[in-house]
Amino acid sequence: MSKQETNFEFLRRFDKRVAELARQAEEYVHTDPDSCMFKLRLMVETMAKKLTSLQMRGDISKDLGAMLGALERSGVVPRRQADGMHAIRRDGNAAVHGSPTPVPTAMRRLQEAYRISGWFCKRLKKGAKVQLDSFIPPDPPVPIDKETEALHGKIDALEESIEQRRLETRESLLMFGPQENVKEVTRRIIEELKALDNVAAAAGEPMIDADFVALVMAMDLEQIEEDPRHGGDSRQARREAEQQLEGIKSHLAEREAAFMAERTFLLEQRNDT
Amino acid sequence: MEGMPDIDDQDLATLWFLSARAMAIAGEDMPAVQEAATGLYAQAIIGLTEEECRIAKDAEHIANKTLIDCLSGVRRLPRELAEKILTGVMMISYSDRSMKPLEVRWASMLASAIEVTADDFQRCCVNARIIASMLRPSEHAQ
Repeated sequence: MSKQETNFEFLRRFDKRVAELARQAEEYVHTDPDSCMFKLRLMVETMAKKLTSLQMRGDISKDLGAMLGALERSGVVPRRQADGMHAIRRDGNAAVHGSPTPVPTAMRRLQEAYRISGWFCKRLKKGAKVQLDSFIPPDPPVPIDKETEALHGKIDALEESIEQRRLETRESLLMFGPQENVKEVTRRIIEELKALDNVAAAAGEPMIDADFVALVMAMDLEQIEEDPRHGGDSRQARREAEQQLEGIKSHLAEREAAFMAERTFLLEQRNDT
Repeated sequence: MEGMPDIDDQDLATLWFLSARAMAIAGEDMPAVQEAATGLYAQAIIGLTEEECRIAKDAEHIANKTLIDCLSGVRRLPRELAEKILTGVMMISYSDRSMKPLEVRWASMLASAIEVTADDFQRCCVNARIIASMLRPSEHAQ
């Protein structure tokens, strides 16, 4: 890649500021990897702010970590893109706080930023055609010697193993596996829960019934709401807990009534025959 | 696991994730705090390894399991472990500070499958409440 060329040219059509930050990061990747990380972090922050202003409502934290968290939770940023953005944020913060960035780490994040940029453009303009070519790593201004090359190779391998480790930890913590279709699993579990609800309404639970559970839960929720971090107003907490308990009681009463109606209907049919 | 007939740690991990996701789904919306708490609880309290937690969510382990399988599996667990699962499930329910009808039903089903007494159930709930109140409220707010 020549000095004038950039992997991020396609970004200009969508966001000039982000494109410029990306170009600068690319320019610094060999000569000043710390500055490359500052630029990438700023690029991610600019993207996050834009997405927040366009697609989120309410008071969103100015802190980048919290902003990315909110974007991910609300489904604006998918898990894969969020992971990449968090990685840039983390390494950018480390660079700001004086931890030197090796060239292979900066290059890895630059490549990550390239992938995220393609997604970002599509997110900004629905239906936009963004054809991402393969990322071309910028050439160093002067050829690197064999020793440095070997060192870069080792750093890159270390980065890879850290990333793999991080991914495994994250996958172990989450409720669903990466290959699972969450929508489908959710649909199936809701069906099963409703079926269990029907059965229980008809047969009842042998030991701990739903009325008792609802009462215990309401008392606990009241105590949780009374915690100063959640408001701390005892009367309000009690009102909310009572309201929730009423909601559950009326659901249970409806289930019971539906069961009784069904039973009466079946008995009447049997008597008719 | 010592003294546990028929159920190994991998099955235990699958039982945990199945019970936990049933409760989270019953709660209708799923805040991120529930996601993170699920894995943390599995490793810190139930004592599962990171690998067991990952494998538990592989299709071959979890895809063909129903909630009835889950109830019958929990029933076969030693009492202490079964109560840990019940406590964790209640923690997930409390973490969004609300209760929904299907959450109540799932808690009642699990508690009945384990055959806990009313006192035991309340004890599990108190522990769950304490853990849930330690989860960051700001996670829920955002």
